[in-house]
Amino acid sequence: MQNEDQKAAGHSLLDDAQGYLFGTAMCAFALVMLRTLGLVTGQTAGLAILISYVTGWPFGWVFFVVNLPFYWFAYRRMGRAFVMRTFVNVALISAFAELFPTLVAFERIDPLFGAVLFGLMTGAGLLAIFRHGGSLGGIGILALYFQDATGVKAGYSQLAFDAVLFAIAAFILPLPLVLYSLVGAVVVNLVIAINHRRDRYIAM
Amino acid sequence: MPAPFPIPQNPPKHTLFEDVQGFAIGLITTAIGLSFITQLGFITGQTAGLALVISYLSGLSFSWVFWLINVPFYILAWFRMGPEFTIKSALCVTALSLLMAYIPDWMRFETLNPLFGIVAFGILTGFGLLGVFRHKGSLGGLGVIALYAQANFGIRAGYVQIAFDAALFAVAFFLFPLDRVLYSLLGALILNAVIAFNHRQDHYIAG
Repeated sequence: MQNEDQKAAGHSLLDDAQGYLFGTAMCAFALVMLRTLGLVTGQTAGLAILISYVTGWPFGWVFFVVNLPFYWFAYRRMGRAFVMRTFVNVALISAFAELFPTLVAFERIDPLFGAVLFGLMTGAGLLAIFRHGGSLGGIGILALYFQDATGVKAGYSQLAFDAVLFAIAAFILPLPLVLYSLVGAVVVNLVIAINHRRDRYIAM
Repeated sequence: MPAPFPIPQNPPKHTLFEDVQGFAIGLITTAIGLSFITQLGFITGQTAGLALVISYLSGLSFSWVFWLINVPFYILAWFRMGPEFTIKSALCVTALSLLMAYIPDWMRFETLNPLFGIVAFGILTGFGLLGVFRHKGSLGGLGVIALYAQANFGIRAGYVQIAFDAALFAVAFFLFPLDRVLYSLLGALILNAVIAFNHRQDHYIAG
């Protein structure tokens, strides 16, 4: 049993480093599966995937470039340390997403299994990044900015962004792939909603 | 480094739904990690490692061997750790065995770099076990014997587990090519590092 004198331990630099490496590797591996299946997802990663499907440009680079404008908003709202952590995590995902396909390729993935697995792994990866105070920047920051300026809740503008993204995907991809993609996105958000709790994981 | 706020006196409890999703994520991820090494012919430590060695040598499926190997441990667990722990362990072991039987139908690798595969195994299975442990589950097995030895013979549980793994890898050195055993060792190290770094009651407090 804990007593009142005990303090929640903080994360050391090494703790954070392994958290970020784990989180970004999980997200990048999940994205490799997603692209093998030809599925999409939400947020900036989803935008980058759609662009890479349409143009044939490598996803890692597109994701890296798509995120660049958001650092300015992140810097204005969240400060320099947050921007640095975000940049490191985005850069790691971009690099891993280009590296992993040279190391692993799938002979087959069942699309439903793949979509669920994508959701679990991305949820776990993001959870680790968030628990270590990191972020993948992107739409979330812009949404907070927008909330300050207009009063529109950040959650709604993020949802609207994903709705537009999936609407575009519905024109580009066959319907089953859009539905599998939705399953994956729902699983990601469930994993985070259930597990991202400051009252459970209390280390800073 | 202590954080500026105290650990709450009554840590929150997981609901049944939260436990079920914790076990689902933990076991699926553990199984995916194990799928990487079964494809590469690598081993690991503990009962899963013993089951891998037996399944490689006999040609029997890992799922059956792993499930059967764990049966004797339940008897000891029932008396030492109580029915709840034993039933949870049996359910987790059974779920993992089923997943390992079905995953090859759902996912197969065309190419898999051995270094990538073993690192992915260590990270995924380490993370998966962390999920299982944080929700007070277990994959039964050797840990129970180790605790029994600690209580009855005064040998520390950690040493019993290390001794088992040392014996398992020593046998593997004679049975399998050197590179496969060395890759396997790397995976076991990463797995244990993931758990050592993250399995901390002062970081994750829900019970």
